[in-house]
Amino acid sequence: MLVTTDASLATHAQVRLLSKGYLVVCITRSDEVLNTVYDDPPDMMVVDLSTGNDGSAEMIASLRGDSFFSAIPIIGLVKPCDAGAFEWENCPLDDFIQLPLDYNELFCRISLALFRIKRIFDNNPLTRLPGNTSIQRAIEESMGKPLAVCYLDINCFKPYNDVYGFGRGDEVIRMLGRIIFNAVRESGGGFCGHVGGDDFVAIVPMERAEVVCQTVIAYFDRIVLDLFDEETKARGYYNGINRKGAMDQIPLLSVSIGVVPTDSPHLRHAAKVAEVAADLKAQAKDSKKSCYIMDRRRG
Amino acid sequence: MDTRTLPTLPGVILKLNELSESNRASVQEMARIVTSDQALSARILRLANSPSYGFYRVSTISNAMILLGVNVVKSLALSSSFFEIMENDSVGLWEHSLGVGAAANLIAGKLKLPESEEIATAGLLHDIGKVVISLKCRDAESRIRSAVREKQLFSREAEQEMLDTDHAEVGAWLAKCWFLPDKLSEPIAFHHDVSRAMNHRVKTAVVHLADVLIKASGFGNGGDCLVPLIQQEAWDLLRLTDQQLAELVDELEDKLIEVKCFSQEMQA
Repeated sequence: MLVTTDASLATHAQVRLLSKGYLVVCITRSDEVLNTVYDDPPDMMVVDLSTGNDGSAEMIASLRGDSFFSAIPIIGLVKPCDAGAFEWENCPLDDFIQLPLDYNELFCRISLALFRIKRIFDNNPLTRLPGNTSIQRAIEESMGKPLAVCYLDINCFKPYNDVYGFGRGDEVIRMLGRIIFNAVRESGGGFCGHVGGDDFVAIVPMERAEVVCQTVIAYFDRIVLDLFDEETKARGYYNGINRKGAMDQIPLLSVSIGVVPTDSPHLRHAAKVAEVAADLKAQAKDSKKSCYIMDRRRG
Repeated sequence: MDTRTLPTLPGVILKLNELSESNRASVQEMARIVTSDQALSARILRLANSPSYGFYRVSTISNAMILLGVNVVKSLALSSSFFEIMENDSVGLWEHSLGVGAAANLIAGKLKLPESEEIATAGLLHDIGKVVISLKCRDAESRIRSAVREKQLFSREAEQEMLDTDHAEVGAWLAKCWFLPDKLSEPIAFHHDVSRAMNHRVKTAVVHLADVLIKASGFGNGGDCLVPLIQQEAWDLLRLTDQQLAELVDELEDKLIEVKCFSQEMQA
């Protein structure tokens, strides 16, 4: 979306952007911008700020104030004389370009902004791993290929969080995120995402899935020993509130993994993969220790 | 003062480099090399405990490597500066640290103490203050060395005389700046004065005993000509029997042959 009151700039920029394969919506009145964005959010916005007081800064601030739209990259066009004295805090842009427009620079900055947003769009603030939208996309892209989707979570996480406090709970989640990320990367690469809470997803080539699961389990079980005091480790449990809300002996933390190959014929949809993986993970939970379960069904 | 790049022995960097070029460097293999170097170990623990990662209390190299990952450890190692080996003192100190780490591990095993890996790490790092002093106070360092030789002083006494501080204090300061957990910083700070340890007295006593045993064995060079006495406080805390002590000395002798071979491999 291009926002400018300068008609000749609008026409020119629109043509140049179209030639690069971008769909361009051009808006010349700032009071129409928000409606148009809410109606059909653009992938990115280029806003002309050279004309001064036309409400553009307020428009940008109010977009940024709504977290649903705050991720849309916005590039500002500014006069060279304004750039030095610009109040960036009141006009939260992602990037700016000085007028007169150098189109090569504009194209480069648009590409960069789009790549950047794709990279960090839904990263989880706790682990900085990609979140649900990226996970969905990654699972869809892996359908039919010889890959495996692994669903992971922590057994007895909630009571740990309750007893030891959410600061320690957050630390465990960060640790598991880092362990999965390193296990995937050190096995030769793949995808690693954070659904939220203590739920994670990893996607790796089928032949490496078991090694990755074994590595994650070995590492997590090692790290867990650092999270409990000697008496608790020796006892093997601590006292906390179980799922039924009753006082109970809670076992030490462990990890469960469900593994689903993405090329099995009975799984035609990404949603089905998620469902089967979640089922397997639930089965893995029956063991009180860390373990992984592979989907062996074929056909 | 920038201590972020404490120098590491060139051999260690070269070995890590070889490992990382093989592209299938496992955490275990790399940990074996990293745990031979007090400076590199300290830097890796500093990173694992730094606020940006959000972990607290990472006190062993293997756990730090699990959380940081091989890639981070590799690039950290490759950005290390080398010890300028003008004389063999840095190798002597490096061997001394390696020996104390091994001895601390043996003692912890003998007494069936929990967290023997943490104790070994504390042993490896106990003289990290000396690395800082040799890096930052070159002139004073040579004066300290002559004072140790000529006046029959312990290096701590000479350090106090020349610098108004000593390697244990400097090491404690570094451990604090680097967010190292108390398990490690207390033995670093009090390995010459066990009674001042607060939460980790037993670990501190083990490192103190290991330090004395290694100095007595003549392995490496911790910078002292004299062997310090084992403090009563440490005896009382550890309660080693005569038989355990005799076994320990025997086992340590075998262990040090192993450590010496490893050290030569690193310097090859």
